[in-house]
Order: sequence, then C-alpha cells, then structure tokens
Amino acid sequence: MATKSKANTAAPNTFEQLLDYGKNNGYKLDWLQQRETFGDELDAPSNGGGLLLQDVDSGPFAEVPEWTNNVTGRPRGALTRPSAARIGKYGIRTKADVWLKNGAQLYEEAVQRQWSSATDIPWNELEELPDEIEQAECQLATFLTEVEFVAGDVPGRWISETSPDYYEPRMFLISQIMDEARHADVFRKRALANGGGLLQQNSSAALAGASIDSARDFTEMSARLHISGEGLVLSIFRMGERMAYNNAEKAIYRLAASDESRHVAFGVMHLQYVSQTDPERTEEIHSYLDEIELGLVAGTGGQNPAVRGTPSNAAIMTLLGGGTDEASLREGEQIAGAVRQRQVKEYIQRIKVAGFGDRFTNGRAAAGLTEYISA
Amino acid sequence: MAQAKKAKAAKPADKVDYEGNPLPDLPDLSWMGNTFQWGTKALPERYGGGLTLAALNIGIYGDIPEHIPHRNRLPRGAVPVISAGNIGGYYIQDKYEQWADSSPYLYEEGISRRWSTATDIPWETGRGLSDDVEVAIAQVATELSNWGSVESEVVSAWLQNLSPGYHEVKYYLSTAVYDSARIEEGYRKRALLNGAGMMLESPGRMNRACLESYGSWSNTVLFMWILRGSLMQAIVRYLSVYGPTEADRELAFRILPDIMRKSAYACDHIRFAISKKPELITTFNAGLTVAEFAQLSDFNDPVLWEALAIIFGDGVENMDEGMKIVLELQQHFLETYISKCSQANLGREAQIKSGAWAGILMGVPMTGHATPDEMRAQVAAIMQKNSGKK
Ligand SMILES: [Fe+2]
Ligand SMILES: [Fe+2]
Repeated sequence: MATKSKANTAAPNTFEQLLDYGKNNGYKLDWLQQRETFGDELDAPSNGGGLLLQDVDSGPFAEVPEWTNNVTGRPRGALTRPSAARIGKYGIRTKADVWLKNGAQLYEEAVQRQWSSATDIPWNELEELPDEIEQAECQLATFLTEVEFVAGDVPGRWISETSPDYYEPRMFLISQIMDEARHADVFRKRALANGGGLLQQNSSAALAGASIDSARDFTEMSARLHISGEGLVLSIFRMGERMAYNNAEKAIYRLAASDESRHVAFGVMHLQYVSQTDPERTEEIHSYLDEIELGLVAGTGGQNPAVRGTPSNAAIMTLLGGGTDEASLREGEQIAGAVRQRQVKEYIQRIKVAGFGDRFTNGRAAAGLTEYISA
Repeated sequence: MAQAKKAKAAKPADKVDYEGNPLPDLPDLSWMGNTFQWGTKALPERYGGGLTLAALNIGIYGDIPEHIPHRNRLPRGAVPVISAGNIGGYYIQDKYEQWADSSPYLYEEGISRRWSTATDIPWETGRGLSDDVEVAIAQVATELSNWGSVESEVVSAWLQNLSPGYHEVKYYLSTAVYDSARIEEGYRKRALLNGAGMMLESPGRMNRACLESYGSWSNTVLFMWILRGSLMQAIVRYLSVYGPTEADRELAFRILPDIMRKSAYACDHIRFAISKKPELITTFNAGLTVAEFAQLSDFNDPVLWEALAIIFGDGVENMDEGMKIVLELQQHFLETYISKCSQANLGREAQIKSGAWAGILMGVPMTGHATPDEMRAQVAAIMQKNSGKK
C-alpha cells in the first residue's frame, strides 16, 4: 500500500555528486543506489492496526516468483552478489508447493494474538477435583503435551527447506512453532498444577508411514498436520466448555483453540491455492485425503485424542460424563460420539473450502464418514 | 449431571477398533494411577508472575537426567509406553548438548516481553531523511533482515533433533526463532518504509558458517549467538542510539533484549557443556577459530560499514566522522565477544588480541578499504606514536 507522496529530494545529479564525493574520498559506494520504488512511502497506519507485513511489499519486492533461483538466502527482491555462496538447501523452490494467499495476514494475526500460559490462565481458579476427574484431566494433558511437539518440530523442519522468496508462509510456520511451544507448555502446566501429575505416554506415537513426521512433500505434510491432525484437535478444544471443570481449563481450551484455528486455516488456504493453481496435483491430493479419511474413520495415526480404545479417549469420556461409573461413562461416550461427528463435519467443510469437495458427492470419500454424520 | 439422565443413555452397539477387533464395552481405565508421581501441585508466583515453567520442576518432574534414552516425544516424567518406539530425529539426547539452567526463565521472559513490529514502532517518525541516509539504512536493514532469516532457518531446523525430554530448551528456542523472524520482518518493513527497499544481499560468509555448523548444536550456538550475536548486538545497540529517526531507534531498542536472551542462553549453555565435558574447550576453540575467519571475511566487505558510516555521520559528506563511530562499534563488538566467551568459560582474549582482530582494538577499523599491508602500517604507526608518548 505504497503511495508516491514524497518526490525525490535529491535530483539524480546531486545524488551522483554525493557518490563521486564519497568515491573521491576512498569509499566504494557501489551499492548506494535508488531502486525503482525509492520515495514510495508506505501509508502511515491510521486505523490502529499498525504497519502490517501484507502492506509492505511493492514493485520487485512484491513479485513472488513461480519458481525461484534464490539459493543464497537473500531477502526477496534484494540485489544479488555474484560472490554469494549457495547456502540455502531449499527443496521448496516452487511457489505452489508452499504458498497461500493470506500468509502474511495470518502471521500478523498470530503476532497480535500471542498469550502467556503463565499469566493469561487464571491458575488460582483451579480447585480440587474428584480423583478420577483429575486423573482424566492429567491423562488428556499428558497426551496433548506430547502431540503438541509434533506440530512445532515438523513445521520447523520445513522452514529451512523453503526459499526466503516465499517468506510469508515461512513466517507463519515460525509463529506456529511459537504457538505450539506454548500449547505443550500449558498442558504440562495443567497436569502439574492441581494435585495430579503426568500419566502415560501416547502409545501410538511412532506409527510408521503416512504420519506427519514422515511426509516427504510439504503439501502432504500440511494436509496431515494442519487439516487432519490439528483439525481434529481443534474440534476437541472447541468442546472445552463441556470438558472444563473450572475457568482455568476453559481459558486453556479457548486460547489454544484460537491458535489452532489459525494453523488449520493455513492448511486449508494452502490446499486451496494448490487446487486453484496446480490442477495437475488434484488426483495426488485426493489420494492423500483417502489416507487421511481412513485415519479419521479408523483412528490410525495416533494424533486424534477422541479415537476409541485409547487412554485419551477414555479420559475425554470421563470428563464429558463426569465420572467413571458406568452411567457417567455411557453419557460421556455419547457426547464423545458427538465430538467425533463434529470432527468429521468440520473436516468435510474444510475440504470443501480447499476445493476438493467433489469427493463427498462422487463416492470417493471414505464410506465411514457419512456413517458418522448420519449416526 | 442427574443420575436419571445418565440411566437413559443407550448402550452403544458393538464396537470394533480399526482392525476390526472388538473393543471392550466400557473403556479400559488401566491407565489411571499409572504415574511416577501423583499429588503434584505447582504453584503460581505470589505477586502476579503467574504459573511459570520453572515452577513445574518439583519432585520427579524437576529431575533432569543427563541422558534421555527415548527418541520420541515422551514428556519428561510421564510413564513411557514400551511400544512407542523411535521417531526420526531427536538424536541430541544428552543434557550437555543443549541444556542451560536459564532456559525456562528465558522462555517466560520472551513471552512476557512479546511485542509487534506492526503496532509498537512509531513508523510515522521514520520519514524525511536525506536520500543517501535513507538508502544506507535500507542497506543495513537488508543485512539484518538477512541475518534474522538465516537464524530462523538454522534454529527451526535444529528443533527436530533436540530431545523433547529437555522441553525447557525447546520451548525457549521456539521463542528465539520467533524473535529472529521479528528481526527479519521488522527490518524488511524498515527497508520498505520509504520505498528504498531491500538492497544488496549479505556477503554471507558468516551466514554460511552458521548454516554449516550442523556438527553440533553447541557449535551453532557459539557461531550464531556468541560470535555473530555479539556483532548483531553491537550494531543494534548503536542503532538504538545513533539510529537516524525515532522509528529506527525504537526498532533497535525493542530488538536488543531479544538478542540479549539468545546471548544469555548461549553463554549459559556453553558454560554448562564445558562443566560436563571440559575437553570441549578444545573443540569449541577450534570451531571458533574457523568461524572467526568467516566473520573476518565479512568484515573485509565495505558495504555494511559504508552504510553505517553514512548513518552515523548523517550523510556521505560526513562519512569520515561516521567511520570513527564504526570503529567504536567494531571495538564494542570485540569487547562484547571476548566478554561473552569468558562468561561461557572459553578464554578467547589472547587469540583476539594477538591475531587479525588486534588492529581494531588498537584503533584501525577493518572495513575492506585498506589492504592488509596498509592496515599493518597503520597499526605500526599507532604503536610508534604510543611508545613515543611513554
Ligand atoms: Fe497446538
Ligand atoms: Fe497447532
């Protein structure tokens, strides 16, 4: 959002005189030049939103190449040095492989919505809970503090794989690393703050193949992480009102959900960009979604706390039903079933927004999905 | 929840797991009570500091082992499941390879000082510079943005290798990579503020040294946050005083504590590593000798120094005066570097004072304008003058 509100104060010959003066005094100054956007002042932010990343670039700095030869790690639009070493081992040098339309906006939103697990949770409002409820809180918190590491460490790996010509998605992924550290931290805090402790590890953390860790392509990783894994967790967080027993827990779920919805949005918007710009990948993406849906229906993958037969699901049932007696567990199971339905419905909506919704009408989507919705 | 309502809940149909095996009718609750320590009650700070990460380290949760045997995401203190197996990465499993006692505090400090380049910088004050100073600040901004970008690449790539068992370190580093990204975008905003834009890319030898330091995380820390970090700190500190506009000074002033936290982690970590493995002193010194060479190579490129001299002198016509401040900055960098190394228990003073850097400390700037012979002659002249004074 640049406006040419400032005429160049120095006529070119004046600028050249300065250069000559410097050079005559032993300086090189070969870098001192006015680029084509020189004098285009960015609008002073007047609406209180500040100077946002999405409003900064213009001219050559705003040109995001479809394919980039920037392997020296220079900022996008910077002038090149012939002597610069090729230090960037960037596997991602094609725009569609990582791009989304609103990456800078999502980054700025993340910056604005940072919170502190130390001071923004009313920890003093935790109160003693019946033992089985505290056990369930702590088991779910143990699960979540473990899987939150996935969502920080895996994006971390892809940042250094991505050319800085695509710095907007990189910036967003960095904000996600920050968010996930806070999530892992806040659930550890919950487990250790109310007379409980950590319970047992998530037993299926290391399923080989088709996992978030092992994806060899960014878009596939993003579908597994942002759309599937984090989508599932987001649906759980949104149930926080019903799972929480006090204001501290409510605040944890609410704040984590607001971060998580950004992470899911990144995945949806990236997939949408792929669907709009790289139709050759359509069939490939559908085949990733086939696997993701298998996980959604069958509970493979180890990232969904609501999958039946896992300690985290038993914990959710206990929390939702209010105890471990049979009647409570049955009620909890019913509500947990509604959570699973909600997970599936939200998944379907995201895939539609991403541009792959035809699979739900042409018979390609996993059969079990419709069962969940109609159940 | 009323009992009557509960009784009405229907018994669900037979359930199977994803392989078709029947699931128990009611959930297995054998995980209940499966803990190494129950009854844990970490308390919030009394006077408004909230519940901090460090406060969680009580009882067995505060036992930080020398080695983490698992290569997966077992939260420290949770009960491991034997079948969980390994996940790729997480091979930095020893405490000496990453630990710093300060990490939980630096993590909370980083979060409590969160700020935004969008809203916390008075950008409207960053106007009205002469063209040469505007281009010069854009050149410096390009260099700093480039460094921030490299830092975020380097640190984020290491996260997958650092064991989650030392989660305090991983959490702190997550704030550090976020801080580095803010340097990258904050200086991008500055460069574009008046259209000057991103200028010439970094000469990049020190960037390369940081990226090539993958032999050990400790080496990365030494190169990036003790050696390069000292230079970045010096430049940003000088910009916080001599920045040409209030926006420039405020941006630098805001970034400075972010850099200081990295430096604190770095010194603390290296000191800890040496306390556990004194033989690392030799390894670290050898590494620094190589990295200093890369840093020297960047010093001999005039672009950054000319840009700073224009900023400090307020224009090309006053560059000679600006270069005097550049010399001060370079001296400040070396003093900072020497002091950080000694904080970390690595003595580098003798090497710095007798090697290629010595001229700077004696008053001869290293800016790529003089040949080595010319610089030696300048040093000799200073020494002669000083001996004459005595
Ligand atoms: Fe998360
Ligand atoms: Fe997330």
